[in-house]
Amino acid sequence: MSLINTLAQTAPDEMLKGLGAIGAGIGYGAAAIGPGIGIGIVVGNAITAMARQPESAGMVRTTMFLGIAFTEALALIGFVVFILIKFA
Amino acid sequence: MMLLTALLRFAPEAPGAVAEKTTNPILPATNEIIWGAISFTVLFVLISKFAYPAVKKGIDARAEKIKGSLDEAERTREEANGILDEYRRQLADAKNESARIIEEARQSADKLRQDLKKQAEAEVAEIKARAQDDISAQVERAMGDLRARVADMTIELTEKVVQRNLDRETNLALIERFIDEAGNAA
Amino acid sequence: MNLVLSALHFPPIGELVEWRGILFKDSPFEVNKVVLLMWAGALIVFLLFWSAGRAAARGSLVPTGVQTIVESGIDFVRNDIILQTMGPTGLPWTPFLVTIFFFVFVTNIFEVIPFIQFPVNARMALPAFMALMVWVIFNVVGIKSQGLGGYFKSMLFPPGVPKFLLPLVALIEFISTIFVRPFSLAVRLFANMLAGHLLLVTFAVLSAALFTKGPLAIVLPLPFLMLILLTGFEILVAVLQAFIFTILAAVYIGGAMHPEH
Repeated sequence: MSLINTLAQTAPDEMLKGLGAIGAGIGYGAAAIGPGIGIGIVVGNAITAMARQPESAGMVRTTMFLGIAFTEALALIGFVVFILIKFA
Repeated sequence: MMLLTALLRFAPEAPGAVAEKTTNPILPATNEIIWGAISFTVLFVLISKFAYPAVKKGIDARAEKIKGSLDEAERTREEANGILDEYRRQLADAKNESARIIEEARQSADKLRQDLKKQAEAEVAEIKARAQDDISAQVERAMGDLRARVADMTIELTEKVVQRNLDRETNLALIERFIDEAGNAA
Repeated sequence: MNLVLSALHFPPIGELVEWRGILFKDSPFEVNKVVLLMWAGALIVFLLFWSAGRAAARGSLVPTGVQTIVESGIDFVRNDIILQTMGPTGLPWTPFLVTIFFFVFVTNIFEVIPFIQFPVNARMALPAFMALMVWVIFNVVGIKSQGLGGYFKSMLFPPGVPKFLLPLVALIEFISTIFVRPFSLAVRLFANMLAGHLLLVTFAVLSAALFTKGPLAIVLPLPFLMLILLTGFEILVAVLQAFIFTILAAVYIGGAMHPEH
C-alpha cells in the first residue's frame, strides 16, 4: 500500500495509466474465459451432431455459427470495454 | 516484404499530429457514417434495381432450362421404357408362339408316328394272317394230296401185299380210318 | 537489445485507424481513405453484379468467371442463410441480404489486399450504419406483420415461461432485442475486424523492426511466419464475419416476421 502511495506521489499520471492498462488487460482476459469455454462447447456438440447425422450437417453448421456469434458477443464486449478503458 | 513496404507506404499520419485529437475508436466518425450510408444505399438501390434482376433472370432461365431438359429426359426415358416393354411383350409372344408351334409339331409327329405304327401293325397282321391262310390252304391241299396219294399207294401196296382183291370201297374206308388215327396220333 | 526494443514503436490505435482527410476537409463530408474504400467497395460489388447481369443477359447459360462468383454468392445467401433461418417467406429479402453479404465481404477483404490493407469495418461507421438499418428494418417488419401490440407481446413474453418470471424475462427480452441486438451486431463486425487489423499490424511492425535491426534478424522468421498465417486467418475471418452479419440480419428479420421461431 505504501509502495503504491509512493509511486502515486512520484508519478500519478503514469501510475493511473499503468493501472488502467492492467485493469483493461485483466478485464479482457477475464471476459475471454467464458466465451472461450462456451464456443468450445458449442463447436464440440455441433461436431458430435454432425458425426451422428451427417445428412443434417448443413443445418447444424448454420446453427453452430449462430451460436458462436451469440457467444462471441460477450468476448467482443470485453474487447470493447478494453478499448473504452484505454480511451476513457 | 511487399506487405511491409505496403504497410510503410500507407502508414497513417505522423504520431504527433494524431495524438491530440485521438477519439474513442468505438464511436463512428460523422463523415464516415454519412459516406458509408450513402455508399451502401446507392449500392443497394443499383443492385436491387438493375443488377440483381438480370442475374436472377439468368439463374431462373438456367433453372428452367435444366428443368426442361430433365423433364425431356424423363419423357424420353418413359418413351423408351414403353418401347422396351412393347419389345419385351413381342418377344414373349414370339417365344410363346414358337413354343406352341413346336408343341403342335411334336403332337402331330406323335400322332403321325402312332398312325404309322398302327397301320404298319395292321399291315403286318394282315400279311401274317394271309400268310397263315396261305400256309393252311397249302397244308390243306398238301394234306389232301398226300391223303389221296397215301390212300392210293396203300391200296396198291395192300393189293400187292395181300394179293387179294378186296372190295375197294371197304378198303378205302378202312384206310381212311387208319390214316386219321395215324394223323391224330402224330 | 535495448536499442532494438526501444526502436520498436507500436503505434497507438488512433494512429492506425484514423486517416487524414483528402477532400472537403473539416466538413461532415470529409473524404479520407476509409471513405474512398467504401466507394471502392460499393463500386466493386456493383461491377461484379453488373457484369454478371450482362453475362446472364447475353444468355450464356453456363456461368463463367464473375458470373460464377456472383451466382454462387446469391445461391449461398439464398440456400444457406435465408431458407435455413427465415424460410421461403424470406426470399424477397434476397437482394438486400446479398448486398449486405457482398459489401461486408469486400470491405472486410481490403484488410489483406496489398497496398490497401485496411478493413473498412475496423471503423465503427459502416457496421453501426448497417446494424442500425437492420434494427429499423426488423422492428418495422415486426410491427407490420404482427401489429404493434402483437409484435411487442411476442417479443416480451416468450411462451413457456413461468408466470412469476414474466416481468424479469420481459425486461431482459426488451433490453436484449432493442439495445443489445443492434449493438452486438455492429460491435461484432467492428471488433473482429479491428482486432484482426491490430494483430496484423503488431506482427508486421515486429517483423519490420527485427528485419531492419541487424542481430535479432535470426528470429525474424517467427513473427513473419505468424504474419503470413494471420493473413490467411484474416481472409477466413473476413468471409466468416460477412456470413455472420448476414445470417444474423436474416435471423432478426425472420424472427420479426414469424414469432415463436
